[in-house]
Amino acid sequence: MSTFRIPFGPQHPALKEPINFTFKVDGERVVSVKLRLGYVHRGIEKLAEDRTYTQNIHLVERVCGLCSQAHVICFSQAVEEILGVEIPARARYLRTIIAEMERIQNHYMWLGFTAHEMGFETLFMYTWRDREIALNMVETITGKRVNYGINTIGGLRRDLTAIAVNPVKRGLDQLEDRMKYYKKLCMTEPTILKRTVGVGILRPKDALRFGAVGPTLRASGIKRDIRFDDPYAAYEEASFNIITYDGCDVASRLLARCEEVFESIEIIRQMLDNLPKGKVRVRVPSQVPQGEAVSRVEAPRGENLHYLRADGTDKLARLKMRAPTLANLLPLCKMFENMNIADIPMIIAGIDPCIACAERMTFIDTENRSTNSWTGDELRKYSIGWYEER
Amino acid sequence: MMKLKWRDKWLERKAIEITVQQSRRVFVTVSQDDFRKTMERLVKIKGFTQIATITGVDIGKEIEVIYHLKHKELVLSLRTRTSKKEPVIPTIVDLIPGSALYEREVHDLFGVTFIGNPDLSPLLLPEGWPDDVYPLRKKWTSEIIKHKLEGS
Repeated sequence: MSTFRIPFGPQHPALKEPINFTFKVDGERVVSVKLRLGYVHRGIEKLAEDRTYTQNIHLVERVCGLCSQAHVICFSQAVEEILGVEIPARARYLRTIIAEMERIQNHYMWLGFTAHEMGFETLFMYTWRDREIALNMVETITGKRVNYGINTIGGLRRDLTAIAVNPVKRGLDQLEDRMKYYKKLCMTEPTILKRTVGVGILRPKDALRFGAVGPTLRASGIKRDIRFDDPYAAYEEASFNIITYDGCDVASRLLARCEEVFESIEIIRQMLDNLPKGKVRVRVPSQVPQGEAVSRVEAPRGENLHYLRADGTDKLARLKMRAPTLANLLPLCKMFENMNIADIPMIIAGIDPCIACAERMTFIDTENRSTNSWTGDELRKYSIGWYEER
Repeated sequence: MMKLKWRDKWLERKAIEITVQQSRRVFVTVSQDDFRKTMERLVKIKGFTQIATITGVDIGKEIEVIYHLKHKELVLSLRTRTSKKEPVIPTIVDLIPGSALYEREVHDLFGVTFIGNPDLSPLLLPEGWPDDVYPLRKKWTSEIIKHKLEGS
């Protein structure tokens, strides 16, 4: 039987990071897949070498709109390690609070995005409405909804005002209630079950072999979380559970993220109740001595790693950043194997990619060389229709 | 004294330099000749089966390649150097399949060839990118890259 090669991607104007997959398919089944990145390669690592440390805080924060706190904490920690600076306890607690809020808004957004991919528009609308609560909470504390601009090397630029605490606590209660409902929905709603159970299998062995991170890894039953294994900020003082599921499919990834939201809410409550008093910042010199550091943070999508080398000037010698999506791409390729074409959008959504959807797909018939193009939206409709017939 | 799971007499003999930055961060430097053997030992015997990423650094005449290996809470950064004239390093995709994309990334941006990696096709740079331009080498400043691309 002949196989087809299907280029999938790279672009979709509505979504953030384009990517190109070339799927080899046999009938409805995916045989193998090849990756091509770089459509939004912005050369940030190169840009970082031309900037001072203070300027780099703002650059690093813009690596990702959704995980900006994760990147900026990671970078600041690396600089602080080389400087030998310990930041005040209050700053550590506040960094943790903002990082967990970021996780909550990210997981809400992801749930909505996944619902949209499966054609469940009502759930998409509801979750994105509720995500506003989380964004408003972040705005109350930092003054901004994204790219918070509150972190700096040595701590935070602004303190949490007492007046912000109660609205934040009320917001947490609302978010907790809503997520309880969504979790129940994810476990019982036939549309969700049909599209997610048994889809995009990633066995624990493969998850480790290909280096999966974050909720994608934990939904394959591996208990690994940087917040727990390699604690930073104030995570050592927080008590929380690492959520794992062993279904190894998109359904497990859904539930793992839903439950992670409860843990994040719990962490923020603990942090707010035990918030130490005092300064939120220590002043640091603008020149950083020679040295190097590796810093890790558990971003909403998984492990984020920065490697920093300083050469004694006010500019850095090398900054390497590895965001979690890159680590999850090889496991993603594994997940496609033996799945249906109609499952592709759900499997991609399952790793919570910073790449999201794809612009178009082209079917190439290798036998008579005819080409047949689809847009990403058409693929989505095709998958929804394919499932409606079953 | 903190527990050092990575501690290994063989490694200590082979290493050019070992720096324990803090309890969860270790840097080990080995020569290009000892690199593959060291990696095999770390992966197979010491249990560093996970890799976070591979960093390339331009240090003048040489390119430094750093492998950030993970073992639970520990990150061991194994580093080796290769000449800039002919940068080659044996691949590790057979030991850690998860390193495939990271090797392609370093190949794109620094021009290091990983011998034995079956797929070093461009991952990040666009089609038609000039062959001799490795954007993260220090020689290629942002201005020069811009100039070169506009000229071609």
